[in-house]
Amino acid sequence: MEDILHSINWAVVAPLIIIQVILVIVALIDWTKAKNTNGPKWLWFIIIIFLNIIGPILYFLFGRRQQ
Amino acid sequence: MMKVLFKKEVLENWRNKKWIWVPLVFILLAIMDPITNYYLPDILESVGGLEGGAVIELPTFSPADAIMMSVSQYSTLGVLVIVLLSMGIISGERKSGVIELVLVKPVSYTKFVLAKWLSLLLLVFAAFIIGMMASWYYTNILYGEITFSMLLAVIFYYGLWLLFVCTVSIFFNTVTQSPGIVAFATIGTTAGISLVTSLLGIRLAWSPTNLSVYIQELLVTGDVSSELMYTTIISIVLIALILLASIYRFNRTFIRRSQ
Repeated sequence: MEDILHSINWAVVAPLIIIQVILVIVALIDWTKAKNTNGPKWLWFIIIIFLNIIGPILYFLFGRRQQ
Repeated sequence: MMKVLFKKEVLENWRNKKWIWVPLVFILLAIMDPITNYYLPDILESVGGLEGGAVIELPTFSPADAIMMSVSQYSTLGVLVIVLLSMGIISGERKSGVIELVLVKPVSYTKFVLAKWLSLLLLVFAAFIIGMMASWYYTNILYGEITFSMLLAVIFYYGLWLLFVCTVSIFFNTVTQSPGIVAFATIGTTAGISLVTSLLGIRLAWSPTNLSVYIQELLVTGDVSSELMYTTIISIVLIALILLASIYRFNRTFIRRSQ
């Protein structure tokens, strides 16, 4: 495992990680502002945090309730 | 009038955060496979565990293969994202009754549908083009050179397929009030067309689902085949017809109701 951490060029992989982090942050900001969501609000928090990549996308597609 | 409706839609997409997450997701889709495949030998080696010196032959990818990895991600997950984000674009407003508030004003129904269609296209194409740029960047770094004009050709021809999917989704939006049915029917239609295309083979050589096949040829040979030309023309005609059908359908539904 050590080897692979060294062999990876982080400049190449970093954007993947940064994009995921931005998605989670934007989803969380929207989540805190939302008065109510489709389904229990706490559940969406868990989905956003723990489901890698698709969590925030699922929230934006199905969790938000249109005003 | 058209401009006002269009601006309202774009602003709404901004408030929905669609302008943030859709481009990010499209970038992820585009760069994930080229990066993973590049590091696959390292990953397999470190996971190891293959006893007795088993050797896995990994294919080596050309730059054209790398660009096609992004395109094939768009064909599956990209289309899914487009369908899911557009499923309620008109039907959802009909269901919730919001549409009545807009159509009470002296708004042309045709312009209403066109504004919805254009705002969806603006969002999807911005995300798609940014994503392909990212894919192109990584392809050039990791796999080798693809010319910019070739990238533009891929964006143009594959963009037609995404345009087709968006237009089909708008059409079903004018048919039913249920976003779920819109999503189901849109995916069903595109899947159905590609099934029929693969069953009939040569007799449906100009089907829009073949666009990605011809794009692959284009990347390898470097010139636009006559099949690609005809498929392009057929796709544009189909898109125009489906758009006209949506406008007709929407007008009929609401004119009948207001009488």
